[in-house]
Amino acid sequence: MSIRLLALIPVAAAISLALSAAVDAVALPLFLDTTGTILATALAGPGVGIATGVVTSAVNTLRNPTFWPFVVVQIIVALYAWAAARAGLFRSFRTAVPAGLGLGVIASVTSTPISYLVFGCTTTGGIALTTALGKALGLPPLGACFFGSFVSDFGDKAVTFALVTSVLHALPRRTAARFPWALRAIGAA
Amino acid sequence: MTGGRLHPFTLLAIAGALPALAWILPAPSGGLAMATIALGLAASRGLRPGLWPAVLTAAPFWLFLLLLHDVPTTIASGLRITTMVASFVWLVATLEPARLVEAMIAAGWSASIAYLLAATLSAVPVLKARARRIVEAQRCRGLSPRGGIAARLRALRALALPLVLSALHEVDERALALETRGLVPGIRRTPLAPPPDSAVEQAARWALLLACLAALARRFIVPRFL
Amino acid sequence: MRSLTLDHASFWYPATASPALRDVSLEVVQGEVVALVGALGAGASTLLLVAADLAPRVIGGRLAGTVARRDRSGIVLPTPWTQASGMAFTVWDEVAFGPANLGWPAHEIARHVDRALERLELVPLASRDPVTLSGGELQRVIIAAILAMDPGLVLFDEPAAELDAEGARTLWRLIRLLAKEGKAVLLATSALDAIPDVADRVVWLEDGAVRAVGTPDLLAGLAVCDAGLGTSVATVWRASGLPEPYPLTVAHAVHRWR
Repeated sequence: MSIRLLALIPVAAAISLALSAAVDAVALPLFLDTTGTILATALAGPGVGIATGVVTSAVNTLRNPTFWPFVVVQIIVALYAWAAARAGLFRSFRTAVPAGLGLGVIASVTSTPISYLVFGCTTTGGIALTTALGKALGLPPLGACFFGSFVSDFGDKAVTFALVTSVLHALPRRTAARFPWALRAIGAA
Repeated sequence: MTGGRLHPFTLLAIAGALPALAWILPAPSGGLAMATIALGLAASRGLRPGLWPAVLTAAPFWLFLLLLHDVPTTIASGLRITTMVASFVWLVATLEPARLVEAMIAAGWSASIAYLLAATLSAVPVLKARARRIVEAQRCRGLSPRGGIAARLRALRALALPLVLSALHEVDERALALETRGLVPGIRRTPLAPPPDSAVEQAARWALLLACLAALARRFIVPRFL
Repeated sequence: MRSLTLDHASFWYPATASPALRDVSLEVVQGEVVALVGALGAGASTLLLVAADLAPRVIGGRLAGTVARRDRSGIVLPTPWTQASGMAFTVWDEVAFGPANLGWPAHEIARHVDRALERLELVPLASRDPVTLSGGELQRVIIAAILAMDPGLVLFDEPAAELDAEGARTLWRLIRLLAKEGKAVLLATSALDAIPDVADRVVWLEDGAVRAVGTPDLLAGLAVCDAGLGTSVATVWRASGLPEPYPLTVAHAVHRWR
């Protein structure tokens, strides 16, 4: 791995962590903790993306120990972002947002068993409450849990994909050309 | 004041084994035992830095568990989560990043991997501070977090874009600096201050691992043969 | 003995049509301090990156011509924050970062680090966490960190940018000392008034090409002052309408008046 990509990973992971801390400044119920992972993958491929996801989870865990079981989700996100980048899905909001929604589904499918087995669906207050709502609506336990994860993941991943698209398009050509995947991800290669 | 001079890998082993055992051992006694140990460790770091954050972080889970599940499940899950939370609170309060980095280097881990963890830890406060400054600057320009979803999404974009772009621009400079300081893939870095690792601690780590495996075997494999 | 030789070197950044360096030929010998002056974007920073073997190796792009280096080089870049290793939690460890990566034995590392800390007057700060330092203090730490690696060719890109007047004076004295010890120093700086005391030769870069090479007296030349690159004394002398040759420093001006 080149030294530039090695330098990218901590920056991308720190982006995820800083954004997820800053998002309450805009009063939106988002996590944004996969922003760096998706961005790193779109810039430099799945290896860098997975490393970013793992590092993000590791450092996040130091702040809040309940994050570490979800490292699996970060890895799945990196793989999905890789597929999206290969297909050039970051070329516009029209393609990126649906791709993000798709990731929302996959991410919640992946995180539901973890949430259920490890936390009994109480991963966060929001998820717990939406799970309770699901239960009240008559959904089975796993289904209610999925409902809880889904509601938060759906929007979060779509917004994250849109953000990464904005960033990729805002990069000066000279900078984008130095990242192996950036131009392909926006369909310009 | 437990753990201050233990080898970082031992600290990690303990912080990993306690929650693992809390899950593997039969509930609720297993969870109760582990949670007690974990809370005890957290408390040994002091009330404010140790026990209080552990309790505060774990408490909401108990609340929501009660909301969703019956009492036995709540107790079983609650104890497990409390063990995990308390172990990590203790770990964060006890583990010094510098010692962990040195332990990894001394153990032969690639310097690049040690760099990834350490550099992220260093970069997070810098980016967080920058994000705060951007938010303040945007507020002065009239960007408000109030308003409809569209307005808030625009505010998010106005915050995220400068933050991410400036961070990416720095990646090149960081790469240049690393290269010139010799951190290239494949080097054998000299350990500067390797934390001492006694045979007792190494044995203890192995014992913890074996205990977890034994508990795992006892719980899942043995019943099939009985 | 030549430490660095550039022979008709041209460099293009990635995805850029026009070259950042145009047919530059330059030599730096051991024991010499060469200063690069030029307007913003003239190519001084690029030239340093090429000299440090960082362009195109790390940043990409294309290099034409040849670059020959005799010694290991170390480069001090202008922004201290991005040069901190991120892996050191005390100043001592930060300075030791480079030598440790080179795989030197522990006692060698200690010797070089202690010496570097002394030279940059950092001994009182040795156990501080780098994130608590000011820009100027951190820049001195980075300089110490590069010097601790004992490079034969030392490259500086605007090293005094974050330093106060006292810190800058210490730095210029140190650079002259480095040359005296036999190192080759290539320095890009906009602190034009310091150059007569620090540099043996001055290279004037314009649009990526070498416009002129000479002694520091170059900075009192008509064309240089026209380009805004003269020393303060020369610039003021000229602006006052006084005749050529313009004095380079206060001492020269006083001499002219007498």
